[in-house]
Amino acid sequence: MQLIINALIAGSLAALIAGGLSLVYGTLGVFNLALGQMVLIGGYATWWLHQEIHLPLSISIIGGLGVGAILSWATFEICVEPFWKRHRFLPLVTTIALSMILDGIILLLFEERPRAILPGLKDPLNILGANINDAQIGLITITLLLLIGFAYVLHSTPFGRKLRAVVQHPHAAQSLGINAPKLNRLIFILSGMLAACGGIYQGIDQNLTPTLAFPITIKAYAAIIAGGKGHFWGAILCAYLIALLEQLAIGVPWFGGHYISAGYQQTVALLFIVVFLLFKPTGLFVSRTRTA
Amino acid sequence: MDFFWHTIALLGTLLPSILGHNLIFGKGKILHFGPVGISILSVYATILVLMATQSFTLALLAGLGISLLASLFFAWLSLRLDPDALGVMTIALHLVALSIVLNWSSLTHGALGIPRIPRLPFLDSVFDFALLSFGICILWILFMWRIDRSAFGRQLAALSEHEWHAESLGIDRMKVHCSAFLIAGAGITIVNFIYPQYVMFISPNDYQFPAFVFMVMAIVAGKPGSVLGVTLSTVLLIVLKEALRFVPLAPSILGPVRLILFGLILFGAVYWRRDVLFPQRRSV
Repeated sequence: MQLIINALIAGSLAALIAGGLSLVYGTLGVFNLALGQMVLIGGYATWWLHQEIHLPLSISIIGGLGVGAILSWATFEICVEPFWKRHRFLPLVTTIALSMILDGIILLLFEERPRAILPGLKDPLNILGANINDAQIGLITITLLLLIGFAYVLHSTPFGRKLRAVVQHPHAAQSLGINAPKLNRLIFILSGMLAACGGIYQGIDQNLTPTLAFPITIKAYAAIIAGGKGHFWGAILCAYLIALLEQLAIGVPWFGGHYISAGYQQTVALLFIVVFLLFKPTGLFVSRTRTA
Repeated sequence: MDFFWHTIALLGTLLPSILGHNLIFGKGKILHFGPVGISILSVYATILVLMATQSFTLALLAGLGISLLASLFFAWLSLRLDPDALGVMTIALHLVALSIVLNWSSLTHGALGIPRIPRLPFLDSVFDFALLSFGICILWILFMWRIDRSAFGRQLAALSEHEWHAESLGIDRMKVHCSAFLIAGAGITIVNFIYPQYVMFISPNDYQFPAFVFMVMAIVAGKPGSVLGVTLSTVLLIVLKEALRFVPLAPSILGPVRLILFGLILFGAVYWRRDVLFPQRRSV
């Protein structure tokens, strides 16, 4: 039961980040390798507002989301859009450059020390034999509410239909009068805000360190590759699946009572990528493009 | 003067692998992001055999064997996967190799690395390494330049431009890809034979993703596919990297400043080379 709770906590973080990324990858086909750093900056901004400026937590969270939105907008305008028009692989290299710059800025401003938005020990509650604290319950609940809210917008509003049309076929959507370039920008900013949510989540649940960036990026990409290109719910489901497999890998005795070393936990996401790309590159849930 | 010889010695520990990767990524436009993954397998194979047998010949052969096998595997992946899938796959495989090295402590000493690596008898000083590096670099540059100008180089460029058209003209994609990867693997072997002897120590930290980013920077800044251009950019970047050590800043500030500076250089290089890095397909 503890393993399932741990998977729910870790999976919620990955689901937030992977969800936004799947939309970006679905529309633009762009790999944003600075995603992990964008996650951290959202979290660090919230930490700074709450711990250094002493603003209330709710205002700090809004501030963190705002910083995430501005950063992703700037990333789109400077590193993605001017290069994506020439070749869709160019943003891959520009976002690598951006990740180095953001890493340097994070280290200069926040140093290597772990930073927690809500420091101190939290009292755990015991639910069905598993320990979970109220901050974690709140985070899981908010993540699920965010995903449900997003599901409503995506499937039941005109804006959501336009979004899905652009993800499915940008040119066809544009021919019907949908402003695909504007929506691409909006999708990118939305993915940045979801990434900032993930950073805030990480900062509240545990702490923020600059070394977390790359593993976060890899786990998010593992989820979207396994889920299928542009498949939002596939990415969410696979994020939780990867988190569950990570917990099972190190928490369950294998092969006659041996435990796999905790250092191999991140290898689960990597093996997900390897297995899916070798045997099912389209992912678990293939987004079918309708044809006339 | 020692700094000058040290810079030349470092060139020999980087240039062969960078020029090899230039053949794949720069000339062939193959999104192979795993040369450092091959490197980590090769270097640990080399050093573990060296420490076990004290034979430099066996160590070199072991490193070469592992390097070529891993290169062939990546070549097979390049034939099987789409370009962006290959990019993600090769990063994942690099990180898997790194994870195994970090966690298999009984064999690799984990994050502590392997110290006290012996040197070849004639390599005593920085000057000896510089001389060896210089010789290797000249030979490797001439070899890569020759390949670039040969029919093989033209076949690789043709495949990068339009695979189907190139294959319809009789170019064997499998043969060309495998050859390119094997040549790059040989370059990796050279580097991983010299570098550990120079520093007398190997650590998994030297084989993280930033090591690959440095290679990309050198290739993009020097003009992808150009042997002389990439050589010049590698020299300049190594000089810059080493010269930054003398800047009077605290280490906690110098490290991040270096990251930001190299990130800006990479971005500038991509902006400058945006039409050459992944060129538009020519049309009649």
